[in-house]
This record gives sequence, structure tokens and C-alpha cells, in this order.
Amino acid sequence: MIKSTIQAILLCILMIGTVSCGSSLVIENVDYSQPLESVLTPNSENVIHDQRYAIKFSVSPILESEGRETVNEIRLIRNSAGYYFVTASGFQNVYVFAPGEGELELENSIEFLENNLQEPAFNQRSSYIELVDLSDGETYRLDQEGIIEEETE
Amino acid sequence: MNTFVKQISLFIVLSLFTGYSAFGQQSDYQIQQDFQTEYTELLERIEQAVTTEALAEIEDAINELETNYNEHTDIINAALYPETFDNVIRTLRNNHAEAVENVTTIEDLNEEISSLESELDNFRSRLETMNRETADLQQKIRESTQNEARQAALIRQYRENIEERNLFVSNFLGDLLSEYQSMDRAQRQEITEAAGRLEENPVDVIQNVINEYITMMEQAEGLETPDFVSMKAQHGYFVEVWNQIGEQLTTTFMPDNPEQARANIDQLLSNWQESISTNLWASLQAAFSENDIQLNEFSSSDEFNDALHNYIDSAYEVSVDANSEEDYQVYRNFNSFWNDTVKTEWGEMFIEGDILTQAQIAAVDLKLDNWRDEATPKSNLTFILLIVSVAVIIGLIVLLLTRKSDSGSKT
Repeated sequence: MIKSTIQAILLCILMIGTVSCGSSLVIENVDYSQPLESVLTPNSENVIHDQRYAIKFSVSPILESEGRETVNEIRLIRNSAGYYFVTASGFQNVYVFAPGEGELELENSIEFLENNLQEPAFNQRSSYIELVDLSDGETYRLDQEGIIEEETE
Repeated sequence: MNTFVKQISLFIVLSLFTGYSAFGQQSDYQIQQDFQTEYTELLERIEQAVTTEALAEIEDAINELETNYNEHTDIINAALYPETFDNVIRTLRNNHAEAVENVTTIEDLNEEISSLESELDNFRSRLETMNRETADLQQKIRESTQNEARQAALIRQYRENIEERNLFVSNFLGDLLSEYQSMDRAQRQEITEAAGRLEENPVDVIQNVINEYITMMEQAEGLETPDFVSMKAQHGYFVEVWNQIGEQLTTTFMPDNPEQARANIDQLLSNWQESISTNLWASLQAAFSENDIQLNEFSSSDEFNDALHNYIDSAYEVSVDANSEEDYQVYRNFNSFWNDTVKTEWGEMFIEGDILTQAQIAAVDLKLDNWRDEATPKSNLTFILLIVSVAVIIGLIVLLLTRKSDSGSKT
């Protein structure tokens, strides 16, 4: 019994060692930030394709969430942490997606319920994404967690 | 008043703040889009610019674009990658510089075309005036048959008019020659592109001038041998100039079919030469005939030379056979016309106009000397003196012999 227990423990140690050796290479401080937002027109199947930053996906789930069937332009930007921020004129939300294996998983949906976003535009800033509503000049600082409250002096 | 100033100040501050704030709320995407739009517009403006003034405005716009977007270089570089803000501004400046060069060339060319047009207009206008004067003189000559003195004066004026016209046309040809002979292919190509705007180009002008010369030859009223010799020289100069610049002119101004244009002018030159020759040989024949010198028919320089030699040879033979006073008069008549008119008045023209060469004139002179020797009537005085001398000698001998025989009989 003791012998088999020892054997099992040794096997576990060996397996853990093998696994830990295989995933030990980690590159840190990767900057995924996209310097400029992409303004993309969905095709008839509501698929957008950003050839420059090499990403292609359907916006149908987003439109469904917004209660719309179509949209003229989708605005897309990626922050330094690698999250995608997606919105469009007339949207109530900015959708924050985390990239996965063949998928984009909704990390957060930042609501702008009052007037919706009339003319949103993303700007890449050093530590956040700036969202400007060009219709009224309102600006917001965003990250994957939501709106960053500006520090008051 | 104080309240009003405060309100104004507040308005200015708010305006500045609003302006600054609006600028701060721009979209980066929009900035680079605006930049690209302005860049594309400037490229198009450069491409379409046709004046140096327009290009000067564009240069200001390029400077303004560079200044306005200089602070957004990072955004624009990111948007244009792999291009850069500096590179596109450099492209604009290079295109602008190239356009300035092209427009300057075009403007120079336009100026050149205008100048050419003006030259041609002046030439045509002056030539038309001369043509009118010539036609007027011809009319007056026809009308003045009753008054010989007046007709002679009009004919003199008419000939001077033609001479002046020849000189004017020669100067025009000289200008064309110096202008187009020195042009390189590129310059000619540039003129070709702009020459379509000319109502009448130099090839048309040359064609018209030759046609007018042909008409003038067909109506050669009151003209004499020297006028035709002068016209022959004018034709020779025309041919010389045409051979030198004809190809350049036709390829420049008749680019669609330069060979045909050249062939047309060649044909006209040939017709002109034929009409000059017909008039020249007929007038020369008439001039000799009017001085009682009947030459064989001739229609070329060689035939004219042969006719002169045939005439002298025949007259020489007659002189050898007859040696009469009448033959001597024929010699004197020919010698006088030959020396006083042909050689003195026309000699230089004949040589320049390829009617007779210096050697041919010298050969005629030599034959004339021989003819003179044979034509001069021989004197009998020598023979009489010889007879008298022989008679005197015989007389003296007889006298001597008679005296000798007398003295012998006395001893």
C-alpha cells in the first residue's frame, strides 16, 4: 500500500515537473495596442474584416444585443492589454472582448444609456482607450473594467 | 461700459477654451482621414495646376498641411505605415517641384508660340501689303501703255517692290533657319504639342509664299532678265533653307503626315523653279534678239552656253571666209552686248544664279578674241608696199647695170 502510494506520488511529481517545464517560457509586458481605431463596414452577412490588424468576425451577436439588424460602420480598437473595444453610432454600449482560441469572449459591456453614443470614436492613449462622442464632445476613459473615473485634483 | 468689457473678455476666453477643447476632442482616426483627404486633394491640385500662380498657392497649402499636422505625426505614421508623414510631405514637394518645372516649360512654350504667332501675323500682314502694292503697280503698268516714261517709272518701282519682297521673305527664312536648326528633338516635340493652336504655322506660310511666287511668275509683267535671275537666286535660297530645316518644320508642325507635307512643298518648289526657268530663258533669248543676236533656242544653263558658242563659232567661220566689214560689225555688236550688258550688268548675277560659270564666261571671251582677229578687215597696204619695194629694187639694179656698161664702153 505504502509502496503504491510512493509510486503514485513520484509519478505525480514527474508529471508536474514535465508540465511545468513545458510552460515556463512567458513573455511579459506585451503591448497589443492598436495605434488607431479601425472603422469597418460590415458585409451583407454582418462580417467585418480588418485586413490591417488581421481580424475578422461577425458582429451579428453584438447587433442582436443592441436590438438592431444592421449597422453602417463598426469602430474597433485594441488596448495594450489585448482587449478589443467595439462600438458604433447609436449603440448603447461599448463592448469589451477578450480574444480566445477562435473566439471573442465578452469581458465587459460598458453602458451609455442616457443618449446612446451618437458619433463615437476611439483614440489610443498611453494607459487607456479614449472614447469621444463627437456629437457632444463628451470624452470617457475606458479600460476592460469599464469607465475610469478621472482623478480629481 | 465696464460690464460690456467683462462680457467681451468672457466671450473671448470661452471661445478660446471651446476651441481648445474641441481640438482636444478630435478623433485620431478623423485626423488621419482629414490628412489623407487633404494630401490626396493636394496631389490632384498639383496634377491639374497649369499656372505658376496656382502652384504658388499649392506650395503655401503644402506648408500649411505640414504645419497643421506636424503634431499628429505619430498618428499619421501609424495610419500610413509603411509610409510616413515626412515621406508623403516629401512626395508632395517633389511632385510640386516637378509640376513647377513642367508648368514653367509650358508657359515658356506658350510664350514662344505666342511670339511665333505674332511673328507670323506680322509677316503675313507685311506680305499682304506688299502683294497689294505689287498688284496695284501691275494694274498701273497695264493702264499706262500710252505714256512710256510713266510706264518705265512704274516698272522700275514694281521691280524694286519685288526686290524688297524677296529681301523680306529671305529675312523670314533666315529667322526660321536660325530658330529651328538649333532646336533639339525635345524642344521640337514641345512645340509640336502646342502648335495645334496656331492658325497658320510656318509650313503653311512657306507654302503660301511659294504659291504667291508662282502666281507672280505667271503674271510676270514688265519683268526682265535680271528680275528672273534674282528670282532664281531667291528660289535657290528657298531650296537651301528648306533642305536644312524642312524635315524639322514638317515633323514639328505637321506631325500627322510630315512626309506628305514635305512632298507638297518639294512639288511647289519644283513648279516655282519651272516657272522661273520658262520666264528667264525666254527673257534672255528676247534680250539677245533685241540686240540683233539670234541665238539657238535654249531652256537651260548648258543650252544657253552651247547657244553662245554655236553663235560665235558660226560667225567666226563666216569671218574667216569673208572677212567683210559687215561681219566685223556683227562681231562688234555681239562684243558690245556681251561686255557692256551681259558681263558688266548681269555677270555677277549670272554666276550667282548658276546661269553661266566664271569659266564659261572666260571661254566665251577667248573665242571672242579669236573671232575679232578673223573679223577685223585685212588691209592691202603691205602688199602694195611690197610691190613698190620690189619695183624700187629692180629699178636700182637696172640703173646700176646701165651705169656699169656705160663706163666700160668709155674705157
